[in-house]
Amino acid sequence: MNPGLKLFLVVILALEVSFTQSLIVNLVLIGVSLLYLLLHRMSPKQFLGLIFWPLFPALGLFVSQWLYGDAGIHFAFVLFTRIYAYVFLGATFTITTNITDLSLTLEQDFKLPSKFAYGVLAAFNLMPKIISEVKTIKTAALMRGEVLHFWTPTLYFKAILASIQWSQNLAEAMTSHGFVENQERTHYQVIRITAMDWLLFGGGLIIVNLMFVFIHY
Amino acid sequence: MENKKQSQWTLRNIILIALIAIFTGIIFWGAGFLYTALTVALTPMGMAPFANDILMGLWTMAGPLSGFLIRTYGSAFIGEFLGSAVEVFMGGQWGAGAFISGLVQGVASELGFALTGYKKYNWVGLNASIFTTVVVTFAWDMIKNGYMHYSIIMLLGLFITRYISTFIFGGLLTKAIVNMLDRSHLSVSTN
Amino acid sequence: MADVSVTNFSFKYNQANTNTLEDENLTFQTNHFSLLSGPSGSGKTTLLKFIAGLYPKFVEGNATGSIQFDGKDITSIPASDRNQLVAMMFQNPDQQFAMNTVKAEMTFVLENIQTDPAKMDDIIDNALKFVGISDLKNREINTLSGGQKQRLALASIIAMDSEVIVLDEPFASIDYDTRVDLIARLKQLQTEHGKTIILSDHDLSNYKEVIDDFFYLDPATRHIAKLNNTQKNAFFQRFEQTKIKETVVAEPSASDPKIINFADFNLKPHGDSLLQLNGFNFYRGKTTLVTGENGIGKSTLFDAMTRLTKYQGTISYAKKNIAKIKPLKYAQNVSLLFQDAESQFLNITVKEELDLSLKNRFTTNYSEDNINQMLGELHLDNRMDQVVYSLSEGQKKKLQILEMLIMNPPVLLLDEPLKGLDYDSLRTIVGYLKDAKIRFNQTQIIISHQFSGIIDLIDYHVDFAAHNLTYQEVLK
Repeated sequence: MNPGLKLFLVVILALEVSFTQSLIVNLVLIGVSLLYLLLHRMSPKQFLGLIFWPLFPALGLFVSQWLYGDAGIHFAFVLFTRIYAYVFLGATFTITTNITDLSLTLEQDFKLPSKFAYGVLAAFNLMPKIISEVKTIKTAALMRGEVLHFWTPTLYFKAILASIQWSQNLAEAMTSHGFVENQERTHYQVIRITAMDWLLFGGGLIIVNLMFVFIHY
Repeated sequence: MENKKQSQWTLRNIILIALIAIFTGIIFWGAGFLYTALTVALTPMGMAPFANDILMGLWTMAGPLSGFLIRTYGSAFIGEFLGSAVEVFMGGQWGAGAFISGLVQGVASELGFALTGYKKYNWVGLNASIFTTVVVTFAWDMIKNGYMHYSIIMLLGLFITRYISTFIFGGLLTKAIVNMLDRSHLSVSTN
Repeated sequence: MADVSVTNFSFKYNQANTNTLEDENLTFQTNHFSLLSGPSGSGKTTLLKFIAGLYPKFVEGNATGSIQFDGKDITSIPASDRNQLVAMMFQNPDQQFAMNTVKAEMTFVLENIQTDPAKMDDIIDNALKFVGISDLKNREINTLSGGQKQRLALASIIAMDSEVIVLDEPFASIDYDTRVDLIARLKQLQTEHGKTIILSDHDLSNYKEVIDDFFYLDPATRHIAKLNNTQKNAFFQRFEQTKIKETVVAEPSASDPKIINFADFNLKPHGDSLLQLNGFNFYRGKTTLVTGENGIGKSTLFDAMTRLTKYQGTISYAKKNIAKIKPLKYAQNVSLLFQDAESQFLNITVKEELDLSLKNRFTTNYSEDNINQMLGELHLDNRMDQVVYSLSEGQKKKLQILEMLIMNPPVLLLDEPLKGLDYDSLRTIVGYLKDAKIRFNQTQIIISHQFSGIIDLIDYHVDFAAHNLTYQEVLK
């Protein structure tokens, strides 16, 4: 499915899940997402991660709603499954889509200005360098006898200094590689939204909404 | 629409906001264990939502920070939203929920700068952004995390906790960072 | 075809007191290979970015005069046409690419200049083949070495087919073989494809036979002059002489106390092994110089020793596995003087920086008088309230070294500590380092390309070659 449409579908469904209180629909969404993920060969490690980490917030919300909420145990279960619905819906997107394809379709099909599509993409592609830069900043500070925590302004100050420098370098390099803001570009890989994409998108939306209308437990 | 003034949304500034969002996302990532630990500690007492509210300021910090650095329409929103997108792609424990939260928090933070007409880049503007962030995200959690079913006392406790957290991270910490940048005469917002 | 003529061109950065470029008048001739040399930080980058049309868009400052391509002012040429005329390659191999893979970056470039998609595959294959990285077509850029990234950067420019190719210190961090190969490719672009090459480098190796014109930016006058043949030859000769000098240093003796040990050590950051060591030692209270070709992995070795990068096997400090020492404690024992001085700074002004070192230093060996004297000798004493980021590169380096000396760690790793220092400052600094070694028994491990002026500091010499470190008596 087209990555852009898939993203919108996931976000819309997640939004609807937030406003509704149907345990069954939540479970159906989790189940269908899980099936989709299995078809796309999610690794066992990824699967365990999806189950394990959300357990903390899900259980936390469940217990407090159960103890202090005035809406009964059913609502507590709704909240519990809501967290998992977010996570599994999100995973159908993140595990099967890469950010490059997303940028390409947002640029070509959703008319996102190319400077946003490629500017953000270029920044994301620096992710490994950013992780090691954070490590370097912290280590350099240790050598000056300072421990930088996530509440220390200096950590962010140094990170922003690096961001300023790198954004300058990248913007210059992209410009030198022919990128001109607001100028037409050709496309090597043309991404179109097919009728099938629209069918999946519309079908998914309609089915889930019908479920919300008819299933209230 | 803007006139005369050249748009601040240059390629360089877009990359800059995205980089800052990723940097902050990665720094918070290191604090993720804190959230889990707090949740584990608070769950038996049924007070787990407090973990969310204690750390709310951290999760909404990219907004005021970007809004303050790139002084134009939409920068707080984009900074905050991209920050949450980083979390989604790094495989955060909220999944698509982080996208939604990012949207809500982004709008919430942007609203404050909008209320002051994108003119008050001082404590007034920052406090406006903090205020809208707390109110909007809290309203959102009334629905999403079922806060509306708690007693008024618990709600008050959560609200105050969230306000303090957002004030500390979105206010004090952000201001301290911006002050360092100002003192070092490193301009961000010009091109 | 385009002559690039620079006329009455001056430039001052907004926060600088003096002009970086002062009334420059020169012409880079069409279809020539021009080399622009001069010390680092002297303004070469600034000029090249103006020629490439990146400045004034991406800089704050005041430029007067003109830069013209065959009579047309570069600033008056629309961005889309400029791409056909000139493209630039940068010094830093990182932060040059927007995309994640080699192929994606190449298509990105071609899409930008609105190439017909049907022609892209051929153009990409040819460009990658020309620079010798056809086999890397589908690789993630983040997994490439610095040299491979620079080859990709050149391939992008070849794909764009711009008439003038501007290169700013493109070989500063890449290996020798890549350097030799890429210089030959550039020559080929000039002779077989009619390109104009404008390249800056402070290292003159391998250029003598390939260049047509030699320009020199004199840091004293901030003036660029085209040298005649006699002057040109004199420059190359002087450069060769500084390289050939041989010096003999001692090899470690069995009685030397060991301080850092490598066991079953393997360093492979990009998948290929850079260095394998078993039973190698650095020695306490000695200054060891580590030499080796660019891009061979010297800085990466320091990254491993400071736990900034992963490695296999064990590094021990004073017989303890460094992976088991607490981060703060280890950092205070084995500190790194970063190649980029700004990496070391945490505060805003010179005074705040010094105060931080005084507050956190591990010993109080340096007295206040000591420090004030050093500040005076380094000419930093009248700059206490200046913002560190506005210091010149040389001043930043001096401040950085001073604050790390005050910290006084038992082991100090120094990555290119002499870069950007004038000779007098260099001798002063060498004096301080000797002093720290003699008075406090400090262990110093230095990576440096240049060693004229520091020979008297060096006790041992380690050569980094063929994935190995070996102590050598001859230093050349």
